[in-house]
Amino acid sequence: MLWTVAPARDEPLFAQIATQVRTAVAAGELRTGDRLPPARVLAGSLEVNLHTVLRAYQDLRDEGLVDLRRGRGAVIAEHADYAALDAPVAALVAAARSAGVTPDATAALVRAAFARPTQEDR
Amino acid sequence: MTPTSPAPARPPVPHRRTTTLLALVLPLALLVGAAVLVLGWRDELPDRIATHWGSDGPDGYSSFAGAFVPLAVGAVLCVGQWAFVMWRGHDGLTRRGVTATSAGLGALFAVVEVGTIESQRGLADGSLAPAEGGTVTLALAAAVVLGALAFLLSPADPPRPALEPVAADARRLPLAPTQRAAWTRTVGSPAALVPAVAAVVTTVTLAVVLEQWVLLTVPVALAALLAAMLLWRVTVDSRGLEATSVLGWPRVRVPLDEVQRADVVDVRPVREFGGWGYRIGKDGRAALALRAGTAIQVHRTGSRVLVVTVDDAATGAALLNSLADRRHP
Repeated sequence: MLWTVAPARDEPLFAQIATQVRTAVAAGELRTGDRLPPARVLAGSLEVNLHTVLRAYQDLRDEGLVDLRRGRGAVIAEHADYAALDAPVAALVAAARSAGVTPDATAALVRAAFARPTQEDR
Repeated sequence: MTPTSPAPARPPVPHRRTTTLLALVLPLALLVGAAVLVLGWRDELPDRIATHWGSDGPDGYSSFAGAFVPLAVGAVLCVGQWAFVMWRGHDGLTRRGVTATSAGLGALFAVVEVGTIESQRGLADGSLAPAEGGTVTLALAAAVVLGALAFLLSPADPPRPALEPVAADARRLPLAPTQRAAWTRTVGSPAALVPAVAAVVTTVTLAVVLEQWVLLTVPVALAALLAAMLLWRVTVDSRGLEATSVLGWPRVRVPLDEVQRADVVDVRPVREFGGWGYRIGKDGRAALALRAGTAIQVHRTGSRVLVVTVDDAATGAALLNSLADRRHP
């Protein structure tokens, strides 16, 4: 798959890399069992530090999207249905654009919505 | 500079004199030398000369004149290899590989000829000829040594940066100026798996049935060789295009500054390249043909073309063109 990083952006490089895996999973481009490139290969190609890629892979492991195993590398794990969010996220982005709400503000609203107690909590 | 259209008029192949010395003069000298030796033994040789050995000794014979047929066959093969290099040897690896094959073949045919005929000097009949006794092993060793020597003496390609921008009609991938981009994926060779397993099973069976345990080295070597060819990683990044066996070796590279254009082509390995693996087509294209289907075809400076079969070749080719745009003046 295609990997891009933009050092000029505020988002840290490891987060940019992790986000691309999430979007590829949400788009169905990566499926359970697919292998991510060895961290060494990706770091060399993107001209970033090996630890930057490892940090991205570790974050993905922590959220349950990737299995990291010695000798097998990083493999897409049995995971939550990221693809289910594909359409709603696209709708949200379209709504934010037409309303003139910035990406940062939109993301903050999403985070705030997550912080609100759910029905079950009540 | 050479034009960048898909079918450019090709400039002459470089290093023609060295190639002629190593791929034509050297093997022909060996074959002629063998012929002169055998001619000198004319009066000492039996009327029918053993040319083929079965398990119980000689089982194929020829006349004195007929004994020169293998040398003639060898000469035709060497002339053919030399002609191919002179015509299509733009790629350094192709040039060196085919030159080495020609030199090695010359040595193989010459040593087999001299070895088998020498042992029949002074015999009343070819049927009394002794068993082959190491001639084939010696010939193979000579072929490998001479082939390796010819490969090393044959010049590799020097760096040759492209002087013109990538063709405007080649596919591109939109990239922001400061964005770094890479594309990487693996490609397997399922077609190679069947003959690979068959070859390993056959040689293991042979070794067990014949109780020739030395033969077990053959399947082990075969398995290692085939494992190296079965799964590859293809990467396009700011360094260019690279295909590496997942074992880390062998490796095929096109540096970014030598990329003229990259396209997507459809490959039929057997029809276009005569099989799977690293192959040279009749048109001189080098190919890593691992399976049928889509491939990235890279036109490289010096009239060199490399084809690599891989899924999603469109993204890889477009990225290679876009990255080359940045590199080229």
